[in-house]
Amino acid sequence: MKRRIDIPLVATLSVLGFFVFIPMLSAFEFSIRTPLKGGYGWDQYIWAVTEEDFMHYILRSGWLAAVTVVITLLILVPTLTWLHLSQSKIRPLIDGLSLLPLVIPVVAFAVGAQISFPEFMQNTVLELPFLYFVLALPYAYRSLDIGLSSIPLKTLTEAARSTGANWLKTITAVIIPVIRGAVMATVALTFALSLGEYTLTVLLHWDTFPTWVTYVAQENLLGAIAISMMSLIIPFLVLTGLTLLAPERSAQRRK
Amino acid sequence: MSSKSLTLKNVTKKFGSVLALDNFNLEVGVGELVALLGPSGCGKTTALRVVAGLENQDSGNLYVGDKDLSETPAHKRNMGMVFQAYSLFPNLTVEENVAFGLQMRKVSKHERKKKAESLLELVGLPTQGQRFTYQLSGGQQQRVALARALAFEPEILLLDEPLSALDAQVRVNLREEIRRLQLSLGTTTLFVTHDQEEAMAISDRVGVMSHGQLEQIDTPDTLYNKPATSFVASFVGTMNRIPTQLSDGQVQLFGKNFPALKSSNESGSVIALIRPESIGITAGSQDHNAKVLTRLFMGASSNIVCQAIDGTIIQSLMSSNESGDLHPGSEVKLEVLNKEVLVTNA
Repeated sequence: MKRRIDIPLVATLSVLGFFVFIPMLSAFEFSIRTPLKGGYGWDQYIWAVTEEDFMHYILRSGWLAAVTVVITLLILVPTLTWLHLSQSKIRPLIDGLSLLPLVIPVVAFAVGAQISFPEFMQNTVLELPFLYFVLALPYAYRSLDIGLSSIPLKTLTEAARSTGANWLKTITAVIIPVIRGAVMATVALTFALSLGEYTLTVLLHWDTFPTWVTYVAQENLLGAIAISMMSLIIPFLVLTGLTLLAPERSAQRRK
Repeated sequence: MSSKSLTLKNVTKKFGSVLALDNFNLEVGVGELVALLGPSGCGKTTALRVVAGLENQDSGNLYVGDKDLSETPAHKRNMGMVFQAYSLFPNLTVEENVAFGLQMRKVSKHERKKKAESLLELVGLPTQGQRFTYQLSGGQQQRVALARALAFEPEILLLDEPLSALDAQVRVNLREEIRRLQLSLGTTTLFVTHDQEEAMAISDRVGVMSHGQLEQIDTPDTLYNKPATSFVASFVGTMNRIPTQLSDGQVQLFGKNFPALKSSNESGSVIALIRPESIGITAGSQDHNAKVLTRLFMGASSNIVCQAIDGTIIQSLMSSNESGDLHPGSEVKLEVLNKEVLVTNA
């Protein structure tokens, strides 16, 4: 049978390629230039990984992003489960509130944090994950909301409880594994957003990987681009690796 | 199995302004299977959910044996429940589903596996343990749900219309299997259904509910043959409602007098309640009193719908062999085969 060309798909991929991949490829091409020697080389990448601060800041951003993911899941999974199960009238209100971070300027969060956070929190970098959580909220909320809407949540919850599972076990042993796809998407979105957050971090005078890259760019633009490429590729490889290493159990058995 | 009795005392439950359970009382003996039967919205499912702890009663008490479980959360009640919708955990294999309750009770992995295997054997799915639930048919999924509900040896088994999503044949097979298992394990069971045939077929006693209360709870035989109220009489099985006159405790039907059951001594217009199988039909009689409208062939028996001279529609259930010569338009003689007749107010 002759395979038909899916014109809308090809058109979408072409547009995506044009706007996403061409700038990325251009940046990559730029980062491997060696102006002094001429031609191409890995000089800037080698410089970046031997730079002492590189590992320091990438690890700091990494664990801050991980803490953000934990905070997001700890707050959102039980809250959304309760909202879905109780069929509460305030659910549309919460849906609307979850979108607010998209319209409130980041500077307002920064000022808000300095006014409202207790001093001991303002003195530690741990204030950042709580603010990253707010910034990631619109995406994380929607991802989990869709996941929970797609399963017979009430029946599964009641089945788990009547079989002897308390609420914690019901969430950890039944709900989260069943909406695993949505949880993974939430983890990826929140992690990526936290890892790349710049404005809020600068406003609160903290240094993380993105602020360090900006600092480096002032002295070595090619090096900064090489670092940015790595910060793009490394999380991509890590997340892809995680997804491939732990595929859906059901999909695995289906083969 | 450590089965216990189940008692509900004066349980009331309201949803907004709707009274779902109105001072509801129920007792289920040790090892007994009681079905709650009733029309939609009568409160039967609410009663079951209150027992399971999935709904909190507004007032009243719930006892398992002599232990008051009124305030105990669902996961600590030790009751197995099978739901109408397939409620298996899609992320777990069949065996893991069955063993879930044991896992929650911190039973060792080896014990869990052994128990799950024996339960799957018991419900006729010994080779399906490693499959995922979406690979099973509806009937098989409900068997797994039943095995899961029984695996941790619950004190009470609760069945919430477990057969209503299944095909007719599977439904009949599975209900027999549920009864066989229930009898062999001796588990006290509360079964909610809107299908009266199902309730009558497998229950020790059937409770007919209406407006949040039990109208009558009795053995299927008594319920069918001696309904306590006209609601029960109309709800359970098919009932002919024939208008007639009551005088001196007697009603006249098709020219004959019958003693009225449970009647007051009042005279006047009443409705006689007669089962289709208690209506006899004679074809070709000179003194005919009705005309056949339709004959519905149902295999061994046929349902003959007649219209009496006064216009009342009357159904008769008779053997298909004997009703072969009855056709629409045939003039026939109807008679009541009962010795006594149940009546209700007109």
